[in-house]
Amino acid sequence: MKFSNKDLLKLYTNLVRTRAYDELFTRRLAQGKLLGFYHASLGGEAPGVGGCSFLRKDDIIFPHHRGHGIPHMIGKGIDIKYFLAEHTGKVTGGCGGMSTFHCFDSENGLYGYSGLIGSGFPLSAGYGLAAKRNGREQVVVCFFGDGGSNRGTLHEAFLMASTWKLPITWVCENNGLSQFVPFEQTYPVDDIADLAQGYGMPGIVVDGQDVIAVAEAVTVAVDRARKGKGPSLIECKTSRFCPHFVSAPDMCGCEIRPEEEIAELKKRDPITVCRKTLMARKILTKKTIEKIDAEVAAELDAAEKFADEGPPPDPSTFDDLLYAN
Amino acid sequence: MKEMTYIRAIREALIEEMDKDEKVFMLGENIRGCAFEHTSGLVDKFGLDRILDTPLSETAIAGAGIGSAIMGYRPVVDFMFADFMYVASDEILLKAAQWRFMQGGKVQVPVVFLAAAGGYQMNANEHSRIQTALFLHHPGLKVVVPATPYDAKGLLKTAIQDNNPVVFLWHKMLMTDTGEVPEEEYSIPLGEADIKREGTDITVVANSYMTQLALQAAEELEGQVGVEVVDLRSLEPLDLGTVLKSLEKTERLVVVDEDTERCGFAGELCAQVIDQGFDLLDAPIKRVCARNYPIPGGYMEAHVLPNTEKIKAAIEEVVA
Repeated sequence: MKFSNKDLLKLYTNLVRTRAYDELFTRRLAQGKLLGFYHASLGGEAPGVGGCSFLRKDDIIFPHHRGHGIPHMIGKGIDIKYFLAEHTGKVTGGCGGMSTFHCFDSENGLYGYSGLIGSGFPLSAGYGLAAKRNGREQVVVCFFGDGGSNRGTLHEAFLMASTWKLPITWVCENNGLSQFVPFEQTYPVDDIADLAQGYGMPGIVVDGQDVIAVAEAVTVAVDRARKGKGPSLIECKTSRFCPHFVSAPDMCGCEIRPEEEIAELKKRDPITVCRKTLMARKILTKKTIEKIDAEVAAELDAAEKFADEGPPPDPSTFDDLLYAN
Repeated sequence: MKEMTYIRAIREALIEEMDKDEKVFMLGENIRGCAFEHTSGLVDKFGLDRILDTPLSETAIAGAGIGSAIMGYRPVVDFMFADFMYVASDEILLKAAQWRFMQGGKVQVPVVFLAAAGGYQMNANEHSRIQTALFLHHPGLKVVVPATPYDAKGLLKTAIQDNNPVVFLWHKMLMTDTGEVPEEEYSIPLGEADIKREGTDITVVANSYMTQLALQAAEELEGQVGVEVVDLRSLEPLDLGTVLKSLEKTERLVVVDEDTERCGFAGELCAQVIDQGFDLLDAPIKRVCARNYPIPGGYMEAHVLPNTEKIKAAIEEVVA
């Protein structure tokens, strides 16, 4: 798989944008401007960005909950201003201000998000079934974490998808922590990707801090699905530099994660990793980095303005929202 | 008109709607081999592509129905027994039911969850439920509970055409009941109760198999009490208007519901009647429901579920 320089720049830019929004959401939560809670994606941006940046507009994604799907939406080309507005309780939000942290953009293949971890599997099987029936060669990419892999819904959906050869790519974002519980305590073997064998689908492990590696692996799997060859499982070994949710203690088991451990993880920051690769290949220069940073800052300002200016939803519309005509 | 069994009427509705709209397809466990007669021969008529036997995976079956409904299909998801829907609670109650509202009305989920419901066959608690309260407690679903072949066919056709998720519970005890069904195309709107028997002394509101038990009770009390039987046909949408109108005449009410009494639909209906029709009532309301126990198997089932004797006793108590 060979990406053009433009593709690689897109990956880098999307990582930078994701990080910037992640910091913005975190900041706004502290400022009391962001409603609900926020599960930052800090350090774990590459699987979503790499997994979504080269999909078709009409491909369907089911985002993972880190960053509340921001990495995936950015990859998919969805304007985050709508999600920021949603998280700010505004009718201009993706869900019309009805869902706080659930994302939606049907125009871009995002039909919703689940507050229950692991609920994306059965719904993705449904999207895959529809995609297979409609013959438009759409592909579904369903993201989940190491925690999500613990759900029985995984088995049911994997089984259905593999048996019926549904066009689905399953992408696991394994950051080693289910909320506070370390992976080793909830999983008996090293790799979730090993599951693939039992369902007769390809399963691979990739470096989840390397956005290019993720994008390559997902592209191969998506092409395979698009050709009618069925699902694949990709496990991205990724990371998390922050607590489970903003303002929570950063626990691992019963202990606070030591600062040295976080510092060690940060050595493999996906932005740094990508930047290094691109600079070594002279695709990215200091000047380009500055230009990207300035553009991202302007994008965020506009998104905040959009979110702040929108009105809240009108509760008198509830009956129309509950049932379709 | 032609005579037809309840289960065959359901089958006809499926055939007609699948004939009409190629977006309609069925998926479920053992529907090709036909666990119940409503899917008999459908695979021969519509092919393997539209009658899908699934793995025994309720969450994936429900999810597959919901996901494909969101993407423009009109799936009929067959759960065989209504009790099996508990396995897919998140999918049915939080996703199908609530995604439209939660997504600001930007999505619709035109899926029908079809299942055989109800007790009286000594199959114990996990093959005997008609858990309507569970579904009604999660706004966003429509809940249809037909009592006759005519209603079953007409309501299922409407349910399949509806742009919302519909839980369609057909009752196992009604499976072989026969009744007249029109030769020509017809459908019945959801949310229109049907007065199955007119009377002036008391209104008995029922649904599904309970309607038949209420009619039997009314028959047995013929000459002593004039019982009006209102069959709701769907619990959401609910036709409270027909109930209140009946009460204007009878001023007395018994509500019969097969679901567990505590926090069940009957209690909800009583509350709505008191709220909107208190002045119409001339006597306290009585409920006849499943007693507050799990539905036992064997001979003990009869000690929990409603029956004609209990309905008659309630009627006599309210008119006394």
